[in-house]
Amino acid sequence: MGACVCKDKNQDPPITQAEESDSSSHASTNRQRDQNNFGSSSTTSFDTSDNRRHRHHHRSHNNQRQHHSSSRRSRDAEKEDVDRLVLETLSVIRTLVDNAQEPPLAMLILHKIADCDQGWLNVVKSLIRVIPMEDPLGPAVIALLLDECPLPTKDALLELKSHLNLAEMELAQTYCKPCQKRNICVLLGCLAEKLAGPHSISLLTSDILTFLIQHLKPENHPVVILHSMVALEKFAQTSENKLRITQALQHCDVHPMTLLEGWYTRDNDNTPLSYSRREVGFCAGWCLDNLFIKEGRPFSYEQLDRSHLNVMLNSNDVSEYLKISADGLEARCDASSFESVRCTFQVDSGVWYYEVTIVTDGVMQIGWATKDSKFLNHDGCGIGDDEFSMAYDGCRQLIWYHAQSELHTHPCWKPGDILGLLLDLENQYLIFYLNGDPLPSYKQLFTHARTGFFAAASFMSFQQCEFNFGEKQFRYPPPRAFKTFNQYGRLLPEEKIVLPRHQKMALMNQFVVSEDACTLCFDNIADTQLLDCGHRGFCEVCAIQLEKCPICRKEILERVRCHSDTRSPTPGLVLLQTPVV
Amino acid sequence: MAGLPRRIIKETQRLMAEPVAGITAIPDEQNARYFHVVVAGPSQSPYEGGLFKLELFLPEEYPMSAPKVRFMTKIYHPNIDKLGRICLDILKDKWSPALQIRTVLLSIQALLSAPNPDDPLDNSVAEHWKTNEKSAIDQARQWTQLHARANNVNSH
Repeated sequence: MGACVCKDKNQDPPITQAEESDSSSHASTNRQRDQNNFGSSSTTSFDTSDNRRHRHHHRSHNNQRQHHSSSRRSRDAEKEDVDRLVLETLSVIRTLVDNAQEPPLAMLILHKIADCDQGWLNVVKSLIRVIPMEDPLGPAVIALLLDECPLPTKDALLELKSHLNLAEMELAQTYCKPCQKRNICVLLGCLAEKLAGPHSISLLTSDILTFLIQHLKPENHPVVILHSMVALEKFAQTSENKLRITQALQHCDVHPMTLLEGWYTRDNDNTPLSYSRREVGFCAGWCLDNLFIKEGRPFSYEQLDRSHLNVMLNSNDVSEYLKISADGLEARCDASSFESVRCTFQVDSGVWYYEVTIVTDGVMQIGWATKDSKFLNHDGCGIGDDEFSMAYDGCRQLIWYHAQSELHTHPCWKPGDILGLLLDLENQYLIFYLNGDPLPSYKQLFTHARTGFFAAASFMSFQQCEFNFGEKQFRYPPPRAFKTFNQYGRLLPEEKIVLPRHQKMALMNQFVVSEDACTLCFDNIADTQLLDCGHRGFCEVCAIQLEKCPICRKEILERVRCHSDTRSPTPGLVLLQTPVV
Repeated sequence: MAGLPRRIIKETQRLMAEPVAGITAIPDEQNARYFHVVVAGPSQSPYEGGLFKLELFLPEEYPMSAPKVRFMTKIYHPNIDKLGRICLDILKDKWSPALQIRTVLLSIQALLSAPNPDDPLDNSVAEHWKTNEKSAIDQARQWTQLHARANNVNSH
């Protein structure tokens, strides 16, 4: 389970302590629920509760009025209050593991506060000020809280820009600590992502652009460099920004990312800094391959010897935003969604083992999954969140199965730790090891799946790890007989290529569909006719998924095979009446 | 980018080749299921002169289930709430897999031309619309100037 608070909760908003004591507040569970669940934004949740809708709005009016007067009265007290709430959210977020759980009270109150411009600014400033460096969930909480708050207005953004005042020396005093600089970068990145388009263009002032590029310099704290780079990456989601950033990078004496790319190493000494530098190196290489392409630099995949690789992370079996290294053995997520991937090799019998090097100590769910396990990255669901997968989470110290979690006895993982994963298909159990120390075996996974397992993992924002499928020596091989993927896996040379995204997109755009293809999927031949209505143009695979005719909405009584060449000449796409509202 | 369905590739190609007047829909460079959409406010509506940014996401089950669409620019409209969520039947129970990104965006454009306060998402806006249509339309016009003005988009 990724950020659990973002899950749909079909219950009434809680009447919280805060509401009772503060009449100006309004229940915002609804908003918060739908905000994250991008677009699943069901109006139905409102339709069922007219009075709630009334209350909601009425209160928000009150809120703004009262808020203004109170902010004049005691701005400092309020500032402390917001800081306290932010820290409280951070401290309880790791205990949020269950969909049915209420979001933390502190978070609900923060939403209410952020409902007006001034409140939103207060929350944002507080995030910059107080989220500490050490907490592995810090940056993720910034992303989460921003995602939960209402969209900022133009005025709020303007004021934020002038408050940050990134061009002036003032920043050095207000936000001089590396962690505060990091927080600014995380914040800017989140806003850029959320406001992709015109607002992201206007947010990227030349001051902010200079600030971010300046902080790519190697003398900065690696964590600040990392998040500056991620922020630039997110601004570059808007193509006008991408152009500006690319130009600005080229104007530097040395392209900062080519320098930083050199930081990447898999032989880390065991200091946190060494792993932070590895993250920077990974992201720099990824940016140069995928986003800020530098003329004359060959792509990583073109330079790599892949002959020893027989199993990789599958770049065709991954949710959209996960970053995969050119050798397919290391992955990272910088999106606010919960990104997942499976490996290329399937195991059906025998005893198997693989290892994972933990690069970041936040939330990842690493384990085993069949093809039936779904990657619902936008709903915060991944490996361990259905009945077809099971996963180890070393940050929250949990084992995940079927979206339920139970505590395990290992300490929290830290960068450099080795997670070992053993799957015994003969006796149907699996064992997780941390640095060689085993947990008791787990059997639940085998109630719904017996064969067809893949190594698989899910990543929360800003998390990274490296897989060893046996192409190099294991650090903690279990004391028993087992097989390794790399011994048995086979990949064609072309299957070993992790193409940069733009090349992949270009490939996709080249394909043409045949004339008689199904008008819904374009995958198969349209050979099925729907009865009674008689409409055609669909394949069997689509037809059996339909209850009503897509064209006339008539109930389908029967589906019959027909010749594709006799199908109705006009595809239904334009004929359908589309009633509005 | 798990093997992008042909249906999506096909629709994207056509959107690029034959764009719809007043609407741009561009796939995200990193996520072919996510579209950055800008809809121009229709003429003779209170949204005229505004450019409204929307996000459109094609879920795993698309086209068997509807795209998820929401306004990212603030808008004063009885069928769009302050989070940008849209009350439109074809995005809900009236979805049909024969509809497309193109038709969905056209419907949204039509919704801007013809607000429907009888099926509201934001009750207070709808109330305003029903009790004093002229004032509500003025308000919508103001919001358009404030949050969506086309020539304002690139300033600051």
